Amino acid sequence: MIQQLLYQDTTLDASVEPNGNGAEVSIGDRKYIVKPLSSGKYTVELNGVRHTVCCMVRDGKVFADVEGMLLELTIPSEDGDMAGGDAGMVGEKDKIYAPMPGKIVKLLVKEGDDIAEKQPLVIVEAMKMENQVNSAANGKVKKINFQNGDQVNTDTPIIELEIAEE
Amino acid sequence: MSDTLFKKILVANRGEIAVRIINACRLLKIPTLAIYSTADADAVHVRMADEAIEIGPPPPLESYLALDKIIAAAKSFHCDAIHPGYGFLAENPLFPERCEEAGITFIGPSAKAMRLMGNKVEARIKMSGAGVPVIPGMKGAGADLRTFEEAAHEAGYPVLIKAAAGGGGKGMRVVHEPEELQASVEAAMREAKNAFGDDTVYLEKYLENPRHIEFQVMADNHGNTIHLFERECSIQRRHQKIIEESPSMALTPALRAQMGQAAVRAAETAGYRNAGTVEFLVDKNGGFYFLEMNTRIQVEHPVTEMTTGSDLVVEQIRIAAGEKMSEYLFRASQRGHAIECRVYAEDAENNFFPSSGNILYYEEPVGPGIRVDSGVTGGTKVGVEYDPILAKLIVHAPTRDLAIAKMIAALGDYHILGIKTSRKFMMDVLAHPEFKAGRTYTDFIPTHMQDREVDVIPAVETAAAAAALAMMKSAKPNMTAIKATTPSPWQTIGAWEIGMRITK
Repeated sequence: MIQQLLYQDTTLDASVEPNGNGAEVSIGDRKYIVKPLSSGKYTVELNGVRHTVCCMVRDGKVFADVEGMLLELTIPSEDGDMAGGDAGMVGEKDKIYAPMPGKIVKLLVKEGDDIAEKQPLVIVEAMKMENQVNSAANGKVKKINFQNGDQVNTDTPIIELEIAEE
Repeated sequence: MSDTLFKKILVANRGEIAVRIINACRLLKIPTLAIYSTADADAVHVRMADEAIEIGPPPPLESYLALDKIIAAAKSFHCDAIHPGYGFLAENPLFPERCEEAGITFIGPSAKAMRLMGNKVEARIKMSGAGVPVIPGMKGAGADLRTFEEAAHEAGYPVLIKAAAGGGGKGMRVVHEPEELQASVEAAMREAKNAFGDDTVYLEKYLENPRHIEFQVMADNHGNTIHLFERECSIQRRHQKIIEESPSMALTPALRAQMGQAAVRAAETAGYRNAGTVEFLVDKNGGFYFLEMNTRIQVEHPVTEMTTGSDLVVEQIRIAAGEKMSEYLFRASQRGHAIECRVYAEDAENNFFPSSGNILYYEEPVGPGIRVDSGVTGGTKVGVEYDPILAKLIVHAPTRDLAIAKMIAALGDYHILGIKTSRKFMMDVLAHPEFKAGRTYTDFIPTHMQDREVDVIPAVETAAAAAALAMMKSAKPNMTAIKATTPSPWQTIGAWEIGMRITK
């Protein structure tokens, strides 16, 4: 059984051979011996070195803690689309939200503007850091719900877009 | 104990320190009142306290810094004492004053001692007068450029311009050449004015690569002032401590005794009561200089508790109630070695950007000599409104080498899923040969960790291997279900990039 996982741009093909209550998992030319340790925890052994991994599968994603390093992997769904997608790509592309509650420092577009994918749309300040929010698609600015200096939370879109048909 | 020290204590804080204080009150059988902003309605400290009251919306000014609301809450819930914790109002002299007016005991020093130590220039003059060594430099605030030039010449370059009201690196400038002096003084004054509303700055000699070593002091109302040895806090990032330990590798028994005496003298000179910390800078030749006194319980107090076998928060409460400090403190000695790591919600692999979201899975390391002071648990929503410290992990072992090894293992066994934490970064610091050798100076992070690169691919494969088995078995749930929560802002924002710059 082959299980495919995505980490950023890297695709990992894991070939799983069940063995008792564990499995042998081959990725590339490396063979990992995986055994359940306790609920949600596994030991993963490679070349005699054993690591403890805490991992959970949720909403098409794998959240894993490999000895202090937190990783997020995506499980591709069967029709080829990404089930969850990258963290930054999950939201509706036609609605632009603040990354965290904060203040709008500068709107970089106005209603009616044509915009391109990755074009900066707005700068939001939170925790004294400025965060630039970019468009995820080509299209047009349909509506802007806030002004410079407004406080925003994360549940009302700052900008609504009309996405161009591909 | 038939009668408790206080009838009820209001805990004027949140997060791990609120939990720590509530636990101490439980030991003393004193009921507690938690306060919380609407962002913390479901927080651990709210659940743990005997009673809790919402005091306002998330912005600190309207909740955890709203002095009037806090005093009013204490009165209406019949609290006869308030513990301020650290941060927020802990070092604001108005707090003890307002408590006194309301007939409530403030668990901490007097407003007068707080005011003295809060003003860096005054504290410096007073300490110098009492024979506590201070860094060579100006005796008072600089009046004009000429006084700065003379003081710089006398102390010798490089020199440091500092804000009198300062802290956290704001209003601070290092000057290497006489030609840079004027511009630096002016810039420091502007920064100080912006940050603290006070443009008073002064000059002192800049110590290159010092160690930051502080002494815990305790003073009661029965004429006893003692110290409980040192904590070394040289490992800092942007002037924030991240790893603390005790004992310090830099102190000989003679130097330790000398510094301990100076710390006690500093506290006595200030008329200090309750728990406090005297901070020193120690140069390469073992010269030590008074830096400042923190008039509160410190974040890193567990390091002292582990090595001396004490409970400082319990002692704070006893002392505030007018008791003599516990006998065992007079006989305290340092036993073994303790290290503390602060677990921040931040992405160490992405410029330490704050991380927010829901904690999907939470498991603390356990074992002999392992202590976790935490303000979070599974299901806790971590916002961006407050300081990103989630928890502190403290280990105690017979030797420093064993403490380092235990800490690295414990960080690896501390599982937090759903938000990013700085655990891996701290493991790399602890495993660094320079740290192991005890060569810990305040420039450690920029010097040794700047070019840190993490090869994630082996970890990604290891995670994928475990995930493959987890998915194969996913027909039956393999994790304790945590109720579905709204997606974190990071998941719903659409595509975005960080164009980070610090705003002024």
